[in-house]
Amino acid sequence: MKRTTKTPPKPVPLGLIETPFYARLNALSRAKSWVGWAGYISPVVLDTVEFEYFAIRNQATLYDISPMHKYRIAGPDALAMLNRLVTRDIAKLRNGRVGYAMWCDEEGKLIDDGTVFRFGDTDFRLCCQEPMFGWLLDSAWGFDVDIQDESDVIAALSLQGPTSWSVLKDAGFAAVESMKPFDWREVEPDIWISRTGFTGDLGYELWVPAAKALRLWDRLWDAGDHWGLRAIGFAAVDLCRIEAGFVAAGIDFQPVHKAVRLHRGRTPIELGFGRMVDFDKGHFNGRRALLKQGGKGQRHALVRIDVAGFKPADGALIYHRKKKEVGFVTSGVWSPTTKRNIALAELNAPFGIEITDDLWAEIYVNQEGKWDKRLVPVTLQTGPFFINDRARATPPRAF
Amino acid sequence: MGQHDKYDAIVAGAGHNGLTTACYLAKAGLKTLVVEKNDWIGGATVSRSLIDGWTYSNCSYVCSLLRREIVRDLELPRFGLQVIPYEGGASFTRDGNYFAYLSDHDALRREIARHNPRDVDAYARFSQTVIRQCRFIRPFLLRNAPDPTSMNPRDLSELLFLIKRAHGLGAKELGETLRFWTMSIGDFLDEHFETDLIKAHIAGSGIIGTGLGVYSPGTAYVLLHHYMGDVDGAIGAWGFARGGMGAISNALGAAFEEAGGTIIKGAGVERFIVKNGKVGGVTLENGDVYRAPIVASNMDVKRTFLKHVDRADLPGDFTKAVERFKIRGSSAKMNIALDRLPEFPAAPKGATFLRGDLHCSTSLNELERAYDDWKEGRWSSDPYFDMLIPSQIDPTMAPPGKHMMTVFVQYAPYDLAVDGVRSGQNWTDATRKALADCVLDKIAVACPDIRDRMVHAEVRTPWDIEQEVGLTEGNIFQGELTFDQLLFNRPVPGYAQYDTPIDGMYIVGSSTHPGGGVMAAPGANAAREILRKIGKGKSMPSFAA
Amino acid sequence: MAMSDNRYDAIVIGAGHNGLTAAATLAAAGKSVCVLERSDRIGGMSRSVDLGGATAPEIAHLLYNLNPTVVRDLGLGTKVPLVTKILPTVCLSPDRNHVLFAQGEATFANGAVHPDAAAFGLLHGRLTRFAALLGQMADGPPPALAGGVLDAGTLKEMAALGKLGWGLKRLGKTEMREFLRVILSNAYDLILDEISDGPLAGALAADAVRGAHAGPRSPGTVFSLMYRLGNGGEAHLPIGGMGAVAAAFETAARNRGVAIRTGVRIDHIIVAADRVQGVLLEDGTTIHADAILSSAGPAQTMQIAGVANFDIEAVRRVRNLRHKGTVAKINLLLDAAPVFPGLTREQTAGRLIVAPSATYVERAFNPAKYGEMSQDLVIEAVHPSLSDPSLTPPGLHLMSAVVSYAPFALTGGWTDAARAELLARTVRTLDIFAPGIGGSIRESQVLSPADIADLTGAPGGHWHHVEMGIDQILTVRPANLISRYAFGIGGLYLCGASAHPGGDVMGAAGRNAALQTLKDGVLGA
Repeated sequence: MKRTTKTPPKPVPLGLIETPFYARLNALSRAKSWVGWAGYISPVVLDTVEFEYFAIRNQATLYDISPMHKYRIAGPDALAMLNRLVTRDIAKLRNGRVGYAMWCDEEGKLIDDGTVFRFGDTDFRLCCQEPMFGWLLDSAWGFDVDIQDESDVIAALSLQGPTSWSVLKDAGFAAVESMKPFDWREVEPDIWISRTGFTGDLGYELWVPAAKALRLWDRLWDAGDHWGLRAIGFAAVDLCRIEAGFVAAGIDFQPVHKAVRLHRGRTPIELGFGRMVDFDKGHFNGRRALLKQGGKGQRHALVRIDVAGFKPADGALIYHRKKKEVGFVTSGVWSPTTKRNIALAELNAPFGIEITDDLWAEIYVNQEGKWDKRLVPVTLQTGPFFINDRARATPPRAF
Repeated sequence: MGQHDKYDAIVAGAGHNGLTTACYLAKAGLKTLVVEKNDWIGGATVSRSLIDGWTYSNCSYVCSLLRREIVRDLELPRFGLQVIPYEGGASFTRDGNYFAYLSDHDALRREIARHNPRDVDAYARFSQTVIRQCRFIRPFLLRNAPDPTSMNPRDLSELLFLIKRAHGLGAKELGETLRFWTMSIGDFLDEHFETDLIKAHIAGSGIIGTGLGVYSPGTAYVLLHHYMGDVDGAIGAWGFARGGMGAISNALGAAFEEAGGTIIKGAGVERFIVKNGKVGGVTLENGDVYRAPIVASNMDVKRTFLKHVDRADLPGDFTKAVERFKIRGSSAKMNIALDRLPEFPAAPKGATFLRGDLHCSTSLNELERAYDDWKEGRWSSDPYFDMLIPSQIDPTMAPPGKHMMTVFVQYAPYDLAVDGVRSGQNWTDATRKALADCVLDKIAVACPDIRDRMVHAEVRTPWDIEQEVGLTEGNIFQGELTFDQLLFNRPVPGYAQYDTPIDGMYIVGSSTHPGGGVMAAPGANAAREILRKIGKGKSMPSFAA
Repeated sequence: MAMSDNRYDAIVIGAGHNGLTAAATLAAAGKSVCVLERSDRIGGMSRSVDLGGATAPEIAHLLYNLNPTVVRDLGLGTKVPLVTKILPTVCLSPDRNHVLFAQGEATFANGAVHPDAAAFGLLHGRLTRFAALLGQMADGPPPALAGGVLDAGTLKEMAALGKLGWGLKRLGKTEMREFLRVILSNAYDLILDEISDGPLAGALAADAVRGAHAGPRSPGTVFSLMYRLGNGGEAHLPIGGMGAVAAAFETAARNRGVAIRTGVRIDHIIVAADRVQGVLLEDGTTIHADAILSSAGPAQTMQIAGVANFDIEAVRRVRNLRHKGTVAKINLLLDAAPVFPGLTREQTAGRLIVAPSATYVERAFNPAKYGEMSQDLVIEAVHPSLSDPSLTPPGLHLMSAVVSYAPFALTGGWTDAARAELLARTVRTLDIFAPGIGGSIRESQVLSPADIADLTGAPGGHWHHVEMGIDQILTVRPANLISRYAFGIGGLYLCGASAHPGGDVMGAAGRNAALQTLKDGVLGA
């Protein structure tokens, strides 16, 4: 065999890789506690969870959400393609607005949720937790639309907390003042800001090409000095999102494409998002299955619960009349702001729908190495645990 | 005749299945004898040292299918068995590129994206489907295949188990399962991926050991057959047995002997003694006679009945069914001693994916053409191979600094065609060398210095494997894994539960359900049947999920 | 045009035998039906075409799998004229010692006893018995497995399977086991386990794979052989040409009041509130209907009904359907009676098979896998004019040949040169058996799979619209979850060869789809 000299291909990096903001995060990290998020190094906590949590609820915080998956969907059929994909009516989403959306498989089981940004009549961005490129390509077949995976080229920061507007103003982004919740705007060339977030508080998300990421970070950081700005990790955000009642993929529901056990998939109705399903807009994926399921076919109910006692109920089994196992807690935390022991739980129908009383959580508590079991009553909660009108005030308040 | 010639049970052949059967019979208190024609045990699950300092797993070479229930129950780790998972793998191209099957999930996504971003999520979808199918099939491996024509309560209960499992899938998944079990691996991969190289990398598992091409319906199942194992619960993972595959047989042999069993080596069976339709023992090639009311053959079904049982002792339609059972030699093996690790110029320095399975096939059509050659009695001019260097992980396989390479080659015919005549006799030193040169030329795509590194090489054609190990046509599965030879059809309809037309005689090798690979399930299932028939069914675990 | 002219209970897309059967079946239930056909002619693959003054079978040339229930329902051959002649099969041998078989009996053409005659008889008999059992399943939808296999509704659906099981049981344990062994097996092994390789084995192997993207060694080809034998498998030559078949289906439909419009191009199917409302034609005409039955391929049907109206997974399944056509159709007008040394004139009028061995057929398939046509072709040829002289001008003869393997996706495409090459290879192959036949060709017609796709709309030019592989039959035909004719949108149905039970000039898919439409109540009581 003839030997020829060939340049070997550039190998792909192994292990976790840095986001565009990693240099800043690493410099600020005292805890050195990282987690892999879509292959990127992402902070669990940079300093302490308590300080970071209270910074979200009292000051302003920066959380690196660059690992989110981002897809540009553009072309004459972009709206039609998206409307066949998601359960809500995207036609009602105006230019300059962001919409929360869910999308299902043919059996009506949730694939993922995320946000749709409408850039123009035929131009959208979908932002979500799970990789979706393959599914979007499948969804786009037969439509005149172009799908671009922007996940690695667009960096993003979540700026959340009561003083986040003040930080933006001081950073020179005063133009966002008039933005209502779920508005977005290209405030400067290559910097997009949306009034969105995952905390239930006043907050914004900033989107920027990866190459310009650090410049944006520094600009915010410099402006944030007066406003108590902190960089934070996942743990504090997770506390806030449970308080706000947001569901997380892989935690509160299993994205059906990731489920080996297909029966672990859940419909938006079962997750309490029936309002997100618009049966009148025309066909969308899973519509026929969801229609067939209707109200009575609901096999499960994801509910918000208030748990007695002070010990977080994460992973606890739920019983009816202390005997019959009827579900389990998917996310459970002590809420420092509401001073309640709160959780999201999945119950088997009819529990959580028709039967809502006499429910109990079985909590295991570790006290200095010794495990203790407690059965405590739980009560169903309607609406989010945490609401604050500053989150929706327009123009936003200074703090 | 002395008492020492009499046993409760005799197992003919010390392959991993024969030894597994023997272990369970001995543990149930039966005085059990294993006779083995070679001077070593293991059948095709062996470690052999053909050159000082090197150990070859010279037939089977990697481990995944070995049922964990059996490993645990027979306490094989206590007898020295250790299985180490290997990391990744790669397929190399002639233009200096490669696809690395990286063990790190995120890095694998990047590697797929390097070739084609559109295939990244496809891989996740492919994996989900395969794991779902693995989860479906695994509970059937340690159970009998029910006879659908039988009204026997045990068959009905097994049938009901199957129906219940199928029902549990739901309509959609049931349909997908029907398709998966009947389609070709080529079509299945075409439904998922765009990139030829990635498809070729995966497709090998659909043809290894079979007389089918990547586009032959049924090869998706063959892939499943290679994915349904696990290493410590990681479904689809493969590993090396420390010390070579012989470590498995040696552990089984030691467990057997500890349970009071006897192994006689160098003792090939000449004839199974049958009188009035009942088995009475075995006559060895050296004339020795051993008697037992129970005889289990670890040999494949063709060898057992067409070579070592008088035709007159078998019903004609049974013999005919055995004759048409397809055991086709399609694979060759090279075992190579290396003076140091060969260079892989395309791969980054120290790449751990080199510790996995390496290939040089780049498209499904290339693999299909390799099959076309085999159909005509030729070895593939552009062969597929599954190549590993276990000495990178297992220090016992080669002297320090030196290495051992195992190369499984698909396809090579048993009856090689030369001048229009097809015969195993056509495998001579000259044709063997020509095959080796063909394979080495292709290995050089990945490591150009392969010939400079070779200290010793063993070339094993299907003919050679048959001669040494005894597997008919050198087929690694003791019978094709096609629909007509699986479940209740394996090996013969009506005799798919380890029994035979001869009273007291059983077949326990890979010719039986659930088939080939170093799985030990046939051996354990057969032992359970034998013990049940003599009223000792409770003396071994049922393993029923 | 009056409004009433454009409102029907049901619209059927495509006037092939399945579309016409669907229409006739609906009309028999009192429904008003309109059939819309894209081309100017009725009949799909069972049409005649003019070749130099002769009436040649354009694509299909024999009937062997006409569904008896359809024949009875439509009154084919009774209320509607249709006359056919059964042809024996002649397995051509390069040494001119040709083999004949009819009704499971094989002999040499010269009358000598064939050494494999007994084994062939047993094999053929067994296959025909098995095929008849499977054939019962053609008369209804496949099992749905809707709520899983233990669902009460499903169990009812499983009645067809139960009937099959009972039929098997009656065959006896040994035969039942044999059925379960061979059903998913490959034709090559099945045949060669019983008879030696040669023209007889070759002809069976060729019958197993004709029209399929498969060689006899491909698992699943025993099923396709049985499918062919489902209604006895005898080759019937229609008297009056293949067009007589189209005419019979057409007459049966028209007699029941079915309106048939030809040369009609559909722009799209109108959908509102997830129900079909009718179709909009390219000329702007709207035709209203409560149900639409499409005998076009699933992908084509999806396109005209709007991809957005289907679930993403359904679209993916349909995109992944395999329909790689592998047969070409060649008609030759000969200016002399064909002479095949070793055959009498009467034998020459039979169904002639060029497939000297099963191995030959497998070898012929190899190039097709890579987009090339076979060097040595597998051919099924008939001389319709020898049985029906009215088909050709005096003194002229017609040969109709179905030629394998000619892949739809030929490397370089189906150019005139490629067609000429295929014709040359065909003549070269035929010349072995009929020396000098090339010299008597006055006119020829070559239809590649691509041409067949253009002419009939059959996806991939495939006879069965969707390959009859075992992963694309019964409950997963054409694809998982769309095997029961209903096709996503309310009131939309598949009624062509892509639906269960599949292709061939059979009519069962059309009838089943119509019955399902009636059962679903989309047309009212």
